[in-house]
Amino acid sequence: MLDVAFSKLAAPKTGAVVLLLAEDEQLSGIAGALNEASGGAILRGLEVAGFKGQKGKTALLFAPVAGLTRVLAYGIGKRADLKDSVLQEAGGSIAAALAAEAQVTIVAEGIPGADAAHIAYGATLRSYRFDRYRTKEKLEDKPKLAGIAVQVADATKARAAFVPLKAVAEGIFLSRDLVSEPANILTPTVMAERCKELTKLGVKVEILGPKEMTKLGFGALMGVAQGSVQEPRMVVMQWNGAGTRRARKPLVFVGKGVTFDSGGISIKPAAGMEDMKWDMAGAGAVIGLMAALAGRKAKTDVVGIVGLVENMVSGNAQRPGDVVTSYSGQTIEVLNTDAEGRLVLADVLWYAQEKFDPAFMVNLATLTGAIIVALGQEHAGLFSNDDELAQKLLAAGLETDEKLWRMPLGEAYDRAIKSDIADMKNIGGRYGSAVIAAQFIQRFVNDKPWAHLDIAGTAWSGKDTAITPKGATAYGVRLLDQLVRAHYES
Amino acid sequence: MPFPQPALSLIGPADLGPHTVLILPVRPGALPGDLAAAAAVAGFTGLQGKVLLLHAPTPGYAGRKVLLLGLGPEATEAETEAEAAGAAATAALAREHHIAIDGRGLPRSLSVALVLGAALRAWRMPQYRQGERTEDACLLDKIDLLVEDPAREGRRFAEAKVVFEAVCFAKTLTADPSNVLTPAVFAERLRALEKFGIAVEVIEGRALARKGLNLLSAVGRGSANPPALVILRWPGTLAAPPVTFVGKGITFDTGGISIKSADRMWDMRGDMGGAAVCAGAMMALARRHSPAPVSAVLALAENMTGGDSYRPGDVLPSHSGLTVEIIDTDAEGRLVLADALSYAVTHLKPRALVDVATLTYAVGVALGHEKAGFYANDTVLAANLAAAGENVSEPLWRLPMTDRDRDALGSDIADIKQCLSGKLVPDANLAAAFLSRFVGDTPWAHIDIGGTDARDEADARHPAGPTAFGLRLFDQLVALRYEDPDHP
Repeated sequence: MLDVAFSKLAAPKTGAVVLLLAEDEQLSGIAGALNEASGGAILRGLEVAGFKGQKGKTALLFAPVAGLTRVLAYGIGKRADLKDSVLQEAGGSIAAALAAEAQVTIVAEGIPGADAAHIAYGATLRSYRFDRYRTKEKLEDKPKLAGIAVQVADATKARAAFVPLKAVAEGIFLSRDLVSEPANILTPTVMAERCKELTKLGVKVEILGPKEMTKLGFGALMGVAQGSVQEPRMVVMQWNGAGTRRARKPLVFVGKGVTFDSGGISIKPAAGMEDMKWDMAGAGAVIGLMAALAGRKAKTDVVGIVGLVENMVSGNAQRPGDVVTSYSGQTIEVLNTDAEGRLVLADVLWYAQEKFDPAFMVNLATLTGAIIVALGQEHAGLFSNDDELAQKLLAAGLETDEKLWRMPLGEAYDRAIKSDIADMKNIGGRYGSAVIAAQFIQRFVNDKPWAHLDIAGTAWSGKDTAITPKGATAYGVRLLDQLVRAHYES
Repeated sequence: MPFPQPALSLIGPADLGPHTVLILPVRPGALPGDLAAAAAVAGFTGLQGKVLLLHAPTPGYAGRKVLLLGLGPEATEAETEAEAAGAAATAALAREHHIAIDGRGLPRSLSVALVLGAALRAWRMPQYRQGERTEDACLLDKIDLLVEDPAREGRRFAEAKVVFEAVCFAKTLTADPSNVLTPAVFAERLRALEKFGIAVEVIEGRALARKGLNLLSAVGRGSANPPALVILRWPGTLAAPPVTFVGKGITFDTGGISIKSADRMWDMRGDMGGAAVCAGAMMALARRHSPAPVSAVLALAENMTGGDSYRPGDVLPSHSGLTVEIIDTDAEGRLVLADALSYAVTHLKPRALVDVATLTYAVGVALGHEKAGFYANDTVLAANLAAAGENVSEPLWRLPMTDRDRDALGSDIADIKQCLSGKLVPDANLAAAFLSRFVGDTPWAHIDIGGTDARDEADARHPAGPTAFGLRLFDQLVALRYEDPDHP
């Protein structure tokens, strides 16, 4: 992880320097002093680049002052409009633009200490890279950026503000690691083992194997798992941050963790099937979230539960037409073995509401292709039986730019999963199939306040954004961390 | 709708605009002293195609951006590499409006190659939008080549400019949408070549049938936009039969009754790329006053589904007299080419005949996007084409055309089957074998640009969009082989 330091403002004498400049302001303070030292070269360069501090605009100057390698001017727009997200994006863009430098000094003049921490946070998030399996990559092809020093008037405040942000970044990195891992490495067993590392942060981790789940009666989850030689797991992670204060119902987060989804007997087409290694991104987000909350010592009680299975074809795989009995007792006719995520969630959610009496349950799942058809990759789908919870989630999404869009639920959709032979079938028609999937899941929440986030379109990105390199996005970690912080820690 | 391409100018030091972005080509170890410190911290050493953008780096450059452009060490393929370097410069400066390449101190062959590479990378799509161009659009309006004395040695520059403008002409034809560029509009646009001394003959309407161009007529029959055969003639000055280029010009290809899947069908607006290449090559040859007589035959049609469309199973007489059994109406390109080739052999009696066509998907599967497939019945012509292609970075790869392929096209009902049905057939080779039946003994080659005609994304050398692959190759072929007065 990027090495981050905060220090007092002082004109840098060596290395690469970033000047955060607001729109239409004169060069003053350190920027002014450096310009003077450059004999006016900085101002001359910025003018020719058309740089006026416009938000997101950059201008890169090489060796304008003796001793300095690069000076990057980064526009933060109007000071009055400055938000955390603008500073995060600034940090991320800077990390990308100066990836060739080993160490970068960012001069954050006129920016409050607590806000300046978000620059370092953005830079940290953008500098993530999953290169574990690139064994022959040349050194010069790797990004070199190892550390940033943020100069800010109130360095002490910035340092303190960065502590929880760093913890969230750790959670995001953990989540991105898990989602990026190939399925031959990250089996349900291995993934459960990795959850155990959270005990170091004070999380209580309990792992259930096939024996325990069979005994409990997890017929839906076990039916999905039976085609794979990899054993399924369920991991229960508890963070008790509320301490001895008045006991409140815990917040429960549930994730779908299909470590590879071939579709089973209802097998998927070959094209793009490699993407199915990240069909565990819901679980990846929940694990990352637990690490983030524990890492920053969130003052609330949270339970994270992930159902981990591999959906494979074999002589013993579940067949279309099979009827399974879920942990709730409800029977399910499995008409399509590729609609397996909801089967896993059915048992885990029932377990969660029965065991923990939650204040609410939020589940995350790369559940349907239909949600991508509906919403694209900008918004995840939000389905909820509780308007207040939905509102809080939508607000947290806007706050963190992990956006949600509310989708409908209703009796008419629910009718689509009526079965002739069992209590329900696991698919309806093609139309509205993300909604139908949500209806299915709702049958296992027992009227507890609940929200389902269908993240099939947002868990993986084909291109870089300011603070998220392409690949695993860890969508949901920042969103749900924000939800908890905004409403459940006072 | 106007969509100007960048204008190229040869200028002297006094003409350099005060704010024009200046591109300084440099070799490793020969960096300008006043910029060496900046280059050093940026790790810029002058490696081929590397660039470094500096904002007014010294007081002498006040008000000006400077782009250091690496030429790499001197190479054997100097001009090819210089073109690539020039392209790298415009790729880095796409958001600028006016740039100048400092060619002082470089041999003119290299500085011209730089400016040509730069210009080709800066080509832009025809713009049918009302609002702003997209963020990644190239905004370059002017590209200057700065030399000590622009009055001297202008010929190379003028020829490069001709090549660039011919490529722009062909690419814009290819990129234009099919509702704009119908066969009739295409033919009309070719009239613009008359001002360069090219004779333009258009055969359309009833004349097509009268001249026996039945395959071309049949392919165009399903469309409300009727087909045409266009013959372009450049007389040259040498007393020799012409070199003749033949181009497939399907202005839109739905596949006809054997209709294509909807996925990416919009791409088929470029299915006239071969004809555009031929037209562009003619323009370049005429504008540089090639001594060689050259002609081109363009088969223009729209392949639509209609109540009067030709059908799979139909048997049609061709211009050559051979009857053809139709198997797949989406293999229409070889039909219009067959008539165009036969017409060329009969009426133009060429010394060499080369056709170019976005003919098959199979050639893309075989060779990818880098090399076009080609077939020839003449070893010398094949060698000349391959050499020309290497010279201008439009590389060809020879593919087989065998008697077995010809035999495989035997029909139970006609002289020849148009193609074979089925998925795993060598369709590119079969198409070539089919065409070979229509050229008699004329030295002939067929270039299948089905994989090289366009690119989805820009890369270091090429903008996204049509490539006009084959145009510079044709120009180069004529220059290499057919312009020597002692060996006409």
